[in-house]
Amino acid sequence: MARVEIDPVTRIEGHLRVEVEVDNGVVKDAWVSGGLYRGMETVLLGRAPADAFYVSQRICGVCPISHGHASTMGSEAAMGIKIPNNARIIRNLIEGAEALHSHILWFYTLTALDYVDVVSALSANIADTYALAAAAGTSTADFGAIQKRLKGFVEGGQLSIFTNGYWGHPAMKLPPELNLIAVAHYLEALEMQAEAAAMIAIMGGKFPHFMTSLPGGTVWIPTEEKLDDLYFRWQKVRNWIANAMIPDTIAIAKQYLDATTYGKGVGNYLAWGVYDTADFDPKKRVMPRGALVGGLTLSDPKPEAIKEYIDHAWYDSGDGLNPSVGETKAKFDAYSTDAKYSWVKAPRLDDKPMEVGPLSRMLVSYVAGVPGVVSLIDSTLAALGVPGKPEVLLSLLGRVGARNLETMFVADEMGKWIGELIEAIKSGDSKYFTDQTGEGEGAGLWEAPRGALGHWVGVKGGKISSYQVVTPSTWNMSPRDKNGVRGPLEEALVGTPIADATKPLEALRIVHSFDP
Amino acid sequence: MAQEARGEFTGLLAARGVSRRDFLKYCGSVAAMLGMSEMYAPQIAAAVEKGATLQPALWMAHGLCTGCTESMAQVDSPDVPTVVLDLLSVNYWETVMAAAGKQAEENIKATVDKGGYVLIVEGSVMLGENGNVLRIGGRPGIDELKEVAAKAAAVIAVGSCAVDGGWVAGAPNIANATGVSKFLKDSGINVPVINLPTCPVNPEWVVAMLVDVLLMGELADGSILKKLDSEGRPKLIFGSTIHDNCPRRGHFENGEFVVFGSADHAAQEAAGWCLYQMGCKGPQTKTNCPLVRWNRRTSWCVEGGSPCIGCGTADPAKGGSGNWFDASAPFLSRLADVRLPGVGGVQPATIGAVVGGVAAVGLVAHGLGSAAKGRIKGVPTETEKVSDLKQKGGDK
Repeated sequence: MARVEIDPVTRIEGHLRVEVEVDNGVVKDAWVSGGLYRGMETVLLGRAPADAFYVSQRICGVCPISHGHASTMGSEAAMGIKIPNNARIIRNLIEGAEALHSHILWFYTLTALDYVDVVSALSANIADTYALAAAAGTSTADFGAIQKRLKGFVEGGQLSIFTNGYWGHPAMKLPPELNLIAVAHYLEALEMQAEAAAMIAIMGGKFPHFMTSLPGGTVWIPTEEKLDDLYFRWQKVRNWIANAMIPDTIAIAKQYLDATTYGKGVGNYLAWGVYDTADFDPKKRVMPRGALVGGLTLSDPKPEAIKEYIDHAWYDSGDGLNPSVGETKAKFDAYSTDAKYSWVKAPRLDDKPMEVGPLSRMLVSYVAGVPGVVSLIDSTLAALGVPGKPEVLLSLLGRVGARNLETMFVADEMGKWIGELIEAIKSGDSKYFTDQTGEGEGAGLWEAPRGALGHWVGVKGGKISSYQVVTPSTWNMSPRDKNGVRGPLEEALVGTPIADATKPLEALRIVHSFDP
Repeated sequence: MAQEARGEFTGLLAARGVSRRDFLKYCGSVAAMLGMSEMYAPQIAAAVEKGATLQPALWMAHGLCTGCTESMAQVDSPDVPTVVLDLLSVNYWETVMAAAGKQAEENIKATVDKGGYVLIVEGSVMLGENGNVLRIGGRPGIDELKEVAAKAAAVIAVGSCAVDGGWVAGAPNIANATGVSKFLKDSGINVPVINLPTCPVNPEWVVAMLVDVLLMGELADGSILKKLDSEGRPKLIFGSTIHDNCPRRGHFENGEFVVFGSADHAAQEAAGWCLYQMGCKGPQTKTNCPLVRWNRRTSWCVEGGSPCIGCGTADPAKGGSGNWFDASAPFLSRLADVRLPGVGGVQPATIGAVVGGVAAVGLVAHGLGSAAKGRIKGVPTETEKVSDLKQKGGDK
């Protein structure tokens, strides 16, 4: 038995430490520790709901849109506000653009380096690279020039962000030509995530941290010029996803099919649902609300059934509280995997750990029969040689693939929403904001790119009286609970093969598959 | 500059597939960012060419949301690959680096041992629970920060959190956040700190500073310090208010304001009227956002239809209590007593009448920082005006 520590875990948002116990080349146990506490829930108390919209986005600079929307929806639920239809469509578009941005950035910039050996790309044969790209149906680039640039860079001896990567690791399986294609698309992806972010900037002022989805609706007013700009950028990003990201995913997945045999985790999946339809029913969202507990049978998750445990987290608050009456009182004593070891609480639904994220959303949508999701998943399973077997998705490879398939699904849906907005404007609907105020308590239950997100908000006399947030990473990165049950990432790490304990690349793949 | 150095640099560029023409174009865009004429491009090119080795840098993550790194990923002049492959050797940058864990920590040690690196800090310095509210590598984050800062050639604090604690330091500052410059001073570490506030940082400013400090040699000869204001911010970027450069300024002069939530809101916004009555903090916030804009010059907050929320306001010396959240919230309430010098308190709806067609200069917002009622200090704001009621149809 050997304890292997990964601290800091890199290529994530925030601060994370992972400890695994490795025996005979396989992970036997795991502990996941969140390293940062800032106090967002406290700083918002006594502020205006609009202030919470702006500032709560600073929980996550990669998914500020989702936090802004969950906050605004929580305040709206508390104040009894129903937003105009135009605002609903615009919020969906902003949310969708963030999903494209986040998923592209995640696949190419954050997790690709776990599978793609950048140095190996130097030995790629250029003609073979073009042949391979054609066979895989993925887009080409000036592969020769890219390899030359890479060569000059490596020979310069200063590897910058690539210094000390796991190049030549035995778990790296791609041929040099596929590595070179991936490097070319790594560079293109930096452009595409920025295009997606520019779509948010058009509708939200800027990204990260946007400005327009205030409680009551939106203060962004579309003009013909701006809609045109939006449409052009959407088309460019959408086509790149279809012509590079999806074929890349299939080509890389075929080389890592063993990753369908581990990394499943707790096997319980939760989605609050995202992208509202005209009736604002969470069960009818474009990606609907739902839970799958211990199998692919759909149930309706009840927010009242959430309990947050702090037995292994550095807090001195009530244990097992529902977020609507939650508390956050920090108290550090010591780091010990036998006692307290994280700043992350342990939320449970009906006392069960729940995985959240694109895999949960895609599975819920698949079981619920959302047509675009069903066809994407079925065609992908067929392409990988496992038609009609969605259960293979309950794995490391499934979690990675689901995120990329969701990118395609959302991109296609966004095209419809742009049309929907144009039709609404043409019909003479010029309402974007409703000027209502009330008070009470409510919850904004929504989805960030990395999973189910909830902001529980109390509003009294125009000010925030209570505020609790359960982020996707609170669910996925949670430590053990009162009963000693592992969190989703901890559980997913168990059973992972580790070829070299000094370079735990395979463990990083599991961590990154959750996009923390 | 030695001729051989030039040859070596040109070779380095060529090996990376960058033509000299592309390079000069890039230098021109840098010049524009620095507020200089493109005529300076050759001068910048010469400065860059001085060193054929890449400038080492460490980008450290503290009490952050990663928004500043995200923001950096949006820069296109130069683009990200140029920054991290051709301009700097960023040996540590948690969010994008290949190495993890032990291998990542080795990168810090190797860089610190050699010295001469630029340290970029993102996020608040976290002091709470004896520094344990942020743990990195099994110990308080502040312990690591002291080690890497002590041997840095210069520090760039990116984003309001790193500058003075930012929103994390907002009342009651429960995790005890502060800014980098105050923390280093209190720790007896004497290293020049350049402060780049806003939340997140605008990436164009980071690139401009990297060129200014590193490539123009302005750190070595001390001239960079003359370009900074008393709060360590570059005057060129943070010298004038958003209000001064706002494209909607003309509507302010004309007394044409968007009335929040009114029946005419959408039409007024489509016409680009002034957002002062919605609570815009442009008159008190000093950044060049209206000129540089955001996301590759696509838009910026006010163009999106939202009032400025003053995220560039910072007071590094105060160690947290000057943070932008407390200084600017409630964001949708108006600054009180916005006036013209010598004119006295002026109702914004009548300001056009007061100044007529004369260009209004030196608009000031005063009385800032006085305590409002209750726990949270805020900016003095005013209640609804008669002009609002008229525009809203006499009732609310």
